[in-house]
Formats: sequence, structure tokens, C-alpha cells
Amino acid sequence: MNTWVMRLFAVGLSHRTAPVELRESVDFSRKGLDVALAELASRGIGRELVVLSTCNRAEIYAVGDSDETADHIGRFFSEYHEIAHAEVSNHLYVHRGPDVARHLFRVAAGLDSLVVGEPQILGQVKAAYAAASDGQFTAALTNRLFHSAFSVGKRVRSETGLGEGAVSVSYAAIALAKKIFGDLKDRAVLILGAGEMAKLTGIHLQSQHVRQTTIASRTLQTAQNLAERLDGVAVAWDRVDAALTTADIVVTATGASEPVLTPARVDEAMRSRRHRPLFIIDIAVPRDVDPEVGSLDQVFLYNIDDLRAIVQENLARRGGELARAEAIVDEEVAKYAAWMQSREIVPTVVALRQRFEAIRRAELQRLEPKLAGLPPEARTRIDEITRLIVEKLLLTPTEQLKSVSDEAMIVAYADALNRLFRLPQDKDGAVASEEESEVSS
Amino acid sequence: MHLVPLLLYAAAAAAYVAHFAWRDPRVGRMATALMAGGVFAHTFLIGMQTVQAGHAPLVGTSAAISAFVWLLGLSYLYIELSSDERSMGVFVAVLMVLLDVIPALDTAVAPRPPVLQSPLFTVHVMSLLFAYASFALACVLGVTYALLFKEIKAKQLGVFYTRLPSLASLDLMNGRAITVGWAFLTLGVLVGGIWLWQVKGSSDPRVQAMSLADPKILVALVSWGLYSFALFARKAIGWSGRRAAYLSGIAFAIVLLNFVLVGYFLTASHNF
Repeated sequence: MNTWVMRLFAVGLSHRTAPVELRESVDFSRKGLDVALAELASRGIGRELVVLSTCNRAEIYAVGDSDETADHIGRFFSEYHEIAHAEVSNHLYVHRGPDVARHLFRVAAGLDSLVVGEPQILGQVKAAYAAASDGQFTAALTNRLFHSAFSVGKRVRSETGLGEGAVSVSYAAIALAKKIFGDLKDRAVLILGAGEMAKLTGIHLQSQHVRQTTIASRTLQTAQNLAERLDGVAVAWDRVDAALTTADIVVTATGASEPVLTPARVDEAMRSRRHRPLFIIDIAVPRDVDPEVGSLDQVFLYNIDDLRAIVQENLARRGGELARAEAIVDEEVAKYAAWMQSREIVPTVVALRQRFEAIRRAELQRLEPKLAGLPPEARTRIDEITRLIVEKLLLTPTEQLKSVSDEAMIVAYADALNRLFRLPQDKDGAVASEEESEVSS
Repeated sequence: MHLVPLLLYAAAAAAYVAHFAWRDPRVGRMATALMAGGVFAHTFLIGMQTVQAGHAPLVGTSAAISAFVWLLGLSYLYIELSSDERSMGVFVAVLMVLLDVIPALDTAVAPRPPVLQSPLFTVHVMSLLFAYASFALACVLGVTYALLFKEIKAKQLGVFYTRLPSLASLDLMNGRAITVGWAFLTLGVLVGGIWLWQVKGSSDPRVQAMSLADPKILVALVSWGLYSFALFARKAIGWSGRRAAYLSGIAFAIVLLNFVLVGYFLTASHNF
């Protein structure tokens, strides 16, 4: 049997099958994807190749001629990275045929990610494909496979809520801040406290390119240390009131046992800031901000429990969207599989066309002595007419054959055509793909 | 004939509702296309009426409402296409459908009495209608601001949180809509005053009835006062955000009341 099921492979490992140390040691992007691709090609592993390498997965997609391709790729993992094969082999998975499409589509949609629905992976898949396609390691099968994967990723994002909602406390806080202030570029941040939590949140906010970060702590020195780290300014503890009037986002993470921000204190600040909205994120335990502050006009107060609740809700909602996302994957896998199936007929179509063309040539050859006396113009015309007749005769059968997607029917048609026209047997897929541009035009 | 834009607006409203509920981008694009189709058909309708009557169909409350709906549709489409933000469409389209029912039922183009044959009249009506359209948008922005504000404040992040743009951008757009609307309202009222001064001698009883005691004129001045205050409060005493949102809602309710109810039932001067 020489069906496409045997020809498309994906071999790799991911966070599901391999520990982080192993994933790190088989990172293809370290030396560059192009190097890995070139090395694969030079070893003759696969006719089409794509290497996908992220911190959570390393996978090689290949079109090969036999099932040994999978073994070759498996060994390539250990040989290329110079580690014992036994160390890798237990962690590798192998997908074949339609399962390759299903796997890649799920990866692209973020369904196979550590944090389900995370959006970065689609970009990484695109980059992997771009690297392979730039190096001309891709052709019909992988082109279609990856473009389908991009559209799955896009559809899952736009048609389901899978990628929606922050799934970590820091991101939840930033998402809220963006919903209140829009772009955070022109916003000022005030951080009360200089501990680990304050630092983490500060780093996240810093990544949003806020206009200014101010840090206040009971000991000025620790505030200054953090300010240096965050590229911000430190202010003395007794200057907090002044800082409150200019800040848009306040993060409180002090170790105080009594509330630092009381309703009276915030109310005072609100008045001098002319009631511009103020977003207070209280990540301290015990809380730094009196809950009553949240009922002041134009003040949004979220504490660590509120943020955690949002994260929980988002995670639950993502779970509910999984089924819809998987349905999209199913649909696209079926489409890809049908397309692949219909390609099975391609070698037969090519053989059929070659047979007709051969007959035409042979007949012209046979008639050569009779045609020799004709002017060159007429000879060209004859060549053209005979070619057109063959084209016309083959047009409908070709179209009909290419629209067949049922495997049993393809085999039956191929068999019938082989017998009727005595076509040369067992044309390999390799021949087919070379001739493909001609057939599909 | 007036049913065509109305039906297109209704279809657009339904599509905006569906888009708001399920957020399918294809439905969203369909909603925009239907809305654009409705505005296009409406443009055609108003053009036909103008050709037929020999003047812009601005005489009478029904015709004015029709022109208002058309301007609102145009302004909304401009905002949607320039900001790529569709979530407001559901509110605007529903408002348009509700208002457009009136001219659809009362389609006759009123003849233009001689006293109105002044370009000043057209400028007066058009700038007021444009002002109202801006205020309608400000109102929708204010309502959505208040809804989103409530969700964030109550820590119940739900329907509006996932669909609406940020509070800051809603507030910014609200401020712009009120500024533009206020400018046109001022222009409209001033031109109306100048026109009245010009036709003072007319024997038309409606012209005679034009005074501050006429509800239409009175309420128009009240709404001018309200929007002037809204502008001033935003600039000078920091009334942005929720207060501005509430203010634009209340003020537009008064405008609408003046435009529809007073226009049909109460005014003695503006019932052309």
C-alpha cells in the first residue's frame, strides 16, 4: 500500500511527554532552524520538512517515502543534539497521516499548550513554517497542512472564547487596568512596598511601557533598590499622599498589619486629583487597603482574592470553550484528510495523461513521412490540433477523478483505469508530486 | 418606499444584537453592511423627496426625524469605520429603528410654507439635527460607560467587560461627541434667532408664537444650558467619567423629548 497515510509524519516531544531539562537539550532554535532543516535534508530524511521548536515542544514534520522516515527523525533528535538515543526515545511521540493534521491543528489552536488557549503558539508555528518555506523545504503537502493550521488557529481565536480572559493574577490586573485606562503608555504607577510581590507586579506593568513608576517603602533604601530595577523613582514614605494624587494605578504590597490606605486618605487624594479614575491593586496579605475605599467614586479596588477569582472564572470559561475548539479542529482535519485522499488519484491522473500524450507523439511520429511535405505552419497546426483533442478528451475525466475523495472509490477508479489503459504500475508519489503542477493547472 | 431603509436598519439592528451576543466577526461585518445599505437607501429616499418637492424634506417633525435618523446613521458609520469598534452599534441601531418607525408611517412630504424659504431655515434645521445626532452618540457612549463602570466597580466582569472598549476611550469619545454637538447646537440656535428676526413681520401665526414661552424653544435653550454645563464641568471641574456619562444620558433624554413629544403635541410655533 502506498497511501498518504504512510507519508506524512510528525515526530517530537512536548511538555506532555518530556521534562524541562530534556526539552531544553533538544531545542532546535538554539543553532537556528535553518541549520536543523539543512541537516535533515542533507541526511535525506523526508522530502518536505518543517521544524517547530518552542520552550514547550520540539517537533519535526516531514513527508517521507516509507515508515522508516519516523525512525530516522527519531534518531535525528539524539544525533543532532548529541545525546543518547535511549534518553530521548521514550519521550518521543509519532503521528502519521491525518493524526499529523490533528496534532498540528491542536497545537496551533493552543489546545496542546501548557496554558490552554495561549496565543503565542500560533505565531511560533507561523515562524517555523516561514523558516522552512524560506529554505524551500516545503511543498504541496506541508504548505496546505500549515496554512490549514493557521486558519484553525484563527478560527478558534475568533469563534470561541478559548484565548479570552487572563489566566494569571498579574495579567488579570493588567487586563483590568487596560479596560479602565485604555493604553497604559501615558499612565503613572505607584507601588507601595518593595518586596517580591511588588517587584513582580512592577515588572509586569513596566512591560506595558507605563509613563512613570514610583516606589515608596517604609525604608527608603529598599524602595531605591526596586526603583533601580524598574527604572522608576523612589519616594520617601511620608510623600505617599502627594504621589497618590498623580498616580493612575496603585499597587500595594507592604507587610503592614494595618491598612495603609484608609477611605479618608484616598478621598483626600481623589479630591486633589479632581476625581480622575484611580485603580488600586491590593496584593498584600493582610490587606493594605481598607475595603471601604472601593466604594469611593471613581476608585476601582481589587485585592488579590478578587484577581484570583477572575483567573478561576477565566480558566473555567476556557474549559467550556474546549469542546467548540475541538469541533473546529475535527472539521478542518476532515477537510485536510479529504484533500489528501483526493490527491491519491494524482499518480493515476498523471499516468493517464502521459499515456495519451505518448500515443499522440507516436502517431505523429508514424505519420512523419506523410507530413514531411507540408509547410512548417501546417505542421505546427497539426501538432496543436492533436494536442487540443487530447486535452479536450482528458478534461472531464481529470476533473471527475480529482473530485473523488472516498478512498475505496479512488482505489476502484485507479484499478479500472490501470486495466483499461494498461497504465504503468506503481507510480510512486515522488513522480506524482513532480508532475503535480502540470496536473493541477 | 420609506420601508426599505427601515427594514434594512431593523436587519442591521438584529445583526448588531447577534454580533454583540456571539461576537462572530462575519455577523459583525454583515451588520455594518446592512447599516451602510440602510443609510444608502435612506440617502436615496431623501434625495428623491428633495427632487420631488423641490426642497430638502425638513419641514414637519416626521421629516426632521427621518433626517435625524439618517445623520445618526452616517455619524455612527463614520465612528465605527474610523475606530473599528462595533459594540456601540447595537444601541445606535435600535434607537434608529425606534425613531425611523415614525417617518415610515407618516411619509408625505409636507409643502414648504413661504416663511421657511430661506437658506437660514435649512442651516438651522440641519445643524440642530446634526447636534442631536452627536448627542445621541454621546448618550449611547454614556450609557455604555455607565454599564461598564458598574461591572468593573462591582467586580462582576461580564457581558460588557468583554465587549466594550476601555472606559478611558468611551469617555474620550463622549467628550468629543458633546463638544461637536454643542458647537452645532449653538450654531443652530443662533441661526434660528437670526432667521426669526428676519421674518418678524410675517403674519404666520406660528411665527407670532415664537417666544421663550413656547415649549420647543424653551426646552432647546434648557438643553443648550445643560450641554454648556457638561462642557464646562468636564474642562473646569473635572466632571469626566461617570458624571459626564450620566449627564449626557439625561440631557439627551430631554433633547429626545423635545424633538419628538413637544414637536408633535405641545409646540405652537415649531409645528411646520
